[in-house]
Amino acid sequence: MKRGDAVNASVTGMAKVDERKIGFEDLITLHIIRNDLVSIPNQIDRNVTRTAFSQLINEYKDYAVGIVDPDGDLISQSRGSLLIFAANALGTAVRDGIALHGADNIAEGDVLISNHAETLGQHLNNVVMYTPIRAERGHGEIVAYFCILMHWIDVGGILVGSSTSTSTTEIFQEGIQFRSVKLMHRGERSEDMFRMIRYNTRFPDELIGDVEAQIAGCLLGRDMVRQIVGKYGVDRFHSAITTMRDHARHLSKVAIEAAPKGEFSAYAFLDNDGVNLDKTVPIGVTVRLDGKRITVDYVNVADQLSGPMNAGRNGGAVAAARIALKCLISPDEPLNEGDFDLLDVEIPEGKFLSARRNAPLGLSGHMIPTTVDTILRALAEPFPDRAAAAHHGTYGAYAFHGKSAATGKPFFHLDTSVGGWGASSSMDGYGPSRSNVHGDTSDVPIEVQEAYYPFRFASYRLRCDSGGVGEFRGGLGVEKVYLVTGPCRITLKIDRTKCAPWGVAGGGEGKVSEVDIVRRDGTHIRSFKGTYDVDDGDRIVIRTGGGGGYGHAWKRDLDRVKTDVRLGYVSRDSALTHYGVFFNDALEMDVDRTTVRRREMAQSPAVAREQSAV
Amino acid sequence: MDKTYLIAADTGGTFTDVVAFDSSSGRISYGKALTSYSNLADGALEGLEYADVDLGRGYLFKHGTTHVINAFIQRNGARTALVTTKGFSDLLEIRRGNRPVPFSLRYRRDPVLVARDLRFDVDERIDAKGNVVVPLHEGDLQALGDRLAGLGVEAVAVAFLNAYVNAEHEQRAVNILRKRLPNAYITSGSALSREWYEYERTSTAAANAYVGPQMRRYVGMFDARLKQRAFNGTFYMMGSNGGVLSTDRSIAEPIALVESGPVGGCIGAARYAAELRIDNVIAFDMGGTTAKCALVMNAQFDVQPLYYVGGYDHGFPIRTPVIDIVEVGAGGGSIARIDNGGDFTVGPQSAGSEPGPVAFGRGGVEPTVTDANLVLGRIGTGKFMGGRLTLDVERARQAIATRIAEPLGFGNADGVDVAAQGILDLANVAMTNAIKEISIERGYDVREFALFVFGGSGPLFGTQLARALSIPRVVVPPHPGNFSCLGMLLAPIRVDLARTVVGEVSADTLREAEVVFGELEAEARSTLARECGSVATSGERSLEMRYRGQKHSVQIRIGRGATVETILTKFDENYSSRYGHVNADCAVEIVGVRLFMEGDVARPGLESFGSSSQVANPTPSSKRVVYFPRPFERVETEVWDRSSLPVGFKISGPAIIEEYSSTTVLLPGDVAEIGRLGEILISCDLS
Repeated sequence: MKRGDAVNASVTGMAKVDERKIGFEDLITLHIIRNDLVSIPNQIDRNVTRTAFSQLINEYKDYAVGIVDPDGDLISQSRGSLLIFAANALGTAVRDGIALHGADNIAEGDVLISNHAETLGQHLNNVVMYTPIRAERGHGEIVAYFCILMHWIDVGGILVGSSTSTSTTEIFQEGIQFRSVKLMHRGERSEDMFRMIRYNTRFPDELIGDVEAQIAGCLLGRDMVRQIVGKYGVDRFHSAITTMRDHARHLSKVAIEAAPKGEFSAYAFLDNDGVNLDKTVPIGVTVRLDGKRITVDYVNVADQLSGPMNAGRNGGAVAAARIALKCLISPDEPLNEGDFDLLDVEIPEGKFLSARRNAPLGLSGHMIPTTVDTILRALAEPFPDRAAAAHHGTYGAYAFHGKSAATGKPFFHLDTSVGGWGASSSMDGYGPSRSNVHGDTSDVPIEVQEAYYPFRFASYRLRCDSGGVGEFRGGLGVEKVYLVTGPCRITLKIDRTKCAPWGVAGGGEGKVSEVDIVRRDGTHIRSFKGTYDVDDGDRIVIRTGGGGGYGHAWKRDLDRVKTDVRLGYVSRDSALTHYGVFFNDALEMDVDRTTVRRREMAQSPAVAREQSAV
Repeated sequence: MDKTYLIAADTGGTFTDVVAFDSSSGRISYGKALTSYSNLADGALEGLEYADVDLGRGYLFKHGTTHVINAFIQRNGARTALVTTKGFSDLLEIRRGNRPVPFSLRYRRDPVLVARDLRFDVDERIDAKGNVVVPLHEGDLQALGDRLAGLGVEAVAVAFLNAYVNAEHEQRAVNILRKRLPNAYITSGSALSREWYEYERTSTAAANAYVGPQMRRYVGMFDARLKQRAFNGTFYMMGSNGGVLSTDRSIAEPIALVESGPVGGCIGAARYAAELRIDNVIAFDMGGTTAKCALVMNAQFDVQPLYYVGGYDHGFPIRTPVIDIVEVGAGGGSIARIDNGGDFTVGPQSAGSEPGPVAFGRGGVEPTVTDANLVLGRIGTGKFMGGRLTLDVERARQAIATRIAEPLGFGNADGVDVAAQGILDLANVAMTNAIKEISIERGYDVREFALFVFGGSGPLFGTQLARALSIPRVVVPPHPGNFSCLGMLLAPIRVDLARTVVGEVSADTLREAEVVFGELEAEARSTLARECGSVATSGERSLEMRYRGQKHSVQIRIGRGATVETILTKFDENYSSRYGHVNADCAVEIVGVRLFMEGDVARPGLESFGSSSQVANPTPSSKRVVYFPRPFERVETEVWDRSSLPVGFKISGPAIIEEYSSTTVLLPGDVAEIGRLGEILISCDLS
């Protein structure tokens, strides 16, 4: 009972197939198979969390577990999988492997790995491992592949962590590449490959520990899927997959048919590419809806950048469009390839979301939250009840690194920011939580961090007034203050400090992130990107962004405003300025003045213009 | 007058069950009453009257209740304040930044138990090693105490950073606040958990304070009611860890009662597994609204140190030992429906007892799992609740025909049978997944377990579940419908304690662990002695261990005098059997020590629950037509009265075995035998 996610029984969408032809028992059987196919990756996911070594895997959950069919199309993916791997990373790697080896040469017990930049279009730490599933052990056709993608903690390259530098100029500076090479061949481990890995990473013990968990998960998952196929037969296995995909496609179809046809555009931008700090990076999209399909057209995005803030087409443009669509259409349903049957993605080659081969990809994920946000911004008009205002929109990544005073060994502690989420037509924004490409990704506890790293936390608070104002308010960001207690370095990779998280339908913007390094002597530096030496007595203040608001603030329910002020989510100043609510020092509301003030706000020229436009 | 009665009362959502065991005669009596929400004690006492038990002759009274979990779910706990380290009063609300439902733009967690205007911080700071960095500002705290009094606060939780390693500030703060707020309920994080993870500990303290005043009143009132009725034996509450707790401990740690109800069945299953010498058992309890399952291995159930109130997706954590149970929304009352989108679902909505299944004829119109069982002949029409409730099979058939079979295009003659079987199959899938979740996730092969089924609906599904899971053996204990309450009678007194101790496995670390074990054991012994005058009869030490760098640890049970070598060997064995590999090159570290101790309280022997039938050659009580899945379909099937079956008697399936509180179904090919403790042992045909 501690887990709320034990699946309840349902046969979704099954009434839509022609039951009389296949019979009721078959219907139920198909359902059982579907249910198993969805739950196997979830079970392996938990197994991986428990066995993996690095905190990146077991706490941060930087991985994905899934099953793809012989064409590389997704059958199911674990719910804990990081969103950025939605649907395409696993299958993309498998497709390339099949093209390379030929399916006939992928034998029982082969375990392959790929982080090939040109295929996956993501930073080299993301390594997909996969193994074929045959209907019967050792022979028979391949019915699926079991896949686990893991963020390998370090794969070499110019800087610890591999994808951490902000100044690489080609992929070769970011680590070693494996393109569908066999880590195991017919059940035998390739010791050569293990040595190859061991001597191309800064953290061999941790990495090999993670890789072992990755292998064990792949093989266990394979056996579990094979059991299903053995029990119910290949035909029913395929039928079950078809009904799953048909159901997912059906949900998209219904939503797209109901939406207005037309072109919807939105624009946002990133602070910079990490190299040239003064030049912003545009993300302009146009979404076309024709009643049948949805096209995400990246009409105005920056050309490929010289620094590492690039992604290939699959890891960039396609991944972002898929995440946005899934959030919009069926966020509570399991993921499969059918979710994206009606989606087209258009982007010319050579943009920073469709980088050419050998482009540096170290920060390939960092621009995805804003890209997803931008697509959702375009969709706010045709889908007013599904979309939401912008969220804080950044990984907000920063890392402490150095040598442990106690053991003399190097340490590397990566953290990402939690911030506010956008409000929607029915509720206030959530928060604080990580970006929209993260999922079940937990903070490392303060007490654990303090036990291992040379700093203490001085405070950790919600940030008043950081949420965008609105009838529904944006979620709050946080303020975190570190007190450094020994020499180390901090690397900052914070973005989205210039393009504030926007509101929707008259809602206000969320506040943006701020980072200050306050030296022991009182001097301070404001910075968002770069690496700094810090020492005993220095403070690092990180304030994270809030979510955008929804609707006009002066429409906000008075009780909600009162609660916000009482709890300190909103200041009295903001209550007056934006919400038109007067409070006295005892926090009692002046109803008369509030009524007058709100009436004036409703009749302001800006609102009148907006209404005449409608 | 001799005191000979041992009594257990289990207050559930709908019914309150009572079981009384007379140790002089070996007689067992049962009572059942509707749970009265206005006064939960009354339901239990009313149940006792049905059971015809003289409280004056009771020497032990054990009570399980859903009171604590209800207070959380309904958010009707005390007006609670939280006091934290300066700068960290928002920890409770910031939580850990994760979103378990990843794609939802409308994700939201359940509201916090203590809102921001009742969260306060005071000057104090302890570092990770336990050193005081900022001394506790007592003046601030005294002023805060006065302020809290003015705010009408009924309960206060104190939770400071790093108090797991040094609890001194928390203890002083509690003392100061107790002086200033003599009537308030005051608790602290370190008093409830000495393990790191500040959010979890803070959440635990807040939760404990939140339910504290209510439980203090409830336990006091219940105790007083018992005394009014001439009970002068000992009154215990049932803890979620599978042992009973004294009233004092229940009041100090009410969160330890969070799953007070469902544990009885696990305790019972563990006792039976031990007596029957079955190493691995899945305890499966299916009632009206939910099904629950737990693993029992070598007569031990797993106790998890962390529990999410309201579920992992939206709820909050508390650190309290809870028997590891997975629950799924499938029970006898689960509703089957075809929704607007054409989806065929079973559960999690339940018809409960009002209106109940269609066949009850009390206004229910949507077919339930019980209706499906009735239509298929699995349940007889006249035998529900010992004949007190007549079931209307025709009404149930109509409901399944019009609401399920026809909309799905199965309007033909056998369509209702097929649809009804479909309802059972869907319920079966949900329950199968719950069992897989609890076994596969932990690396166990479910086929090596026996399925131990109870609850009103458990024995109806046992053999069907066994087939889905390829489990060859099913056990139905005596009195399955009252088994949870019966299990409470068997509960020992139990104390679970844990502490964070971190270090690479070495002689030094072991010495440190040994010291902590000694302290914890002394504490456990004194608790047992204080609470029941009992000495520890059994217990177990374990270490939380992991490869260095790993986040999740495994719990390794160790004996006294363990050495570095034996511990490492055990770790490797355990790790390898769970995860299929070991990492020989990697350092292994200890991250915590954990132990439990049990003390004996009087308990009945299992033989007293079993069959006493002396009938040498029992015959079926009746025959009826029962539907079994193809190729069998409708088959005339013998129906047996369980109380007539003597030890050693064998029955081949298909067959139905009926008793007061439940019905056992034997599918074609199954063979059942009555065991020496009166249990039904079923060998399933898995071919």
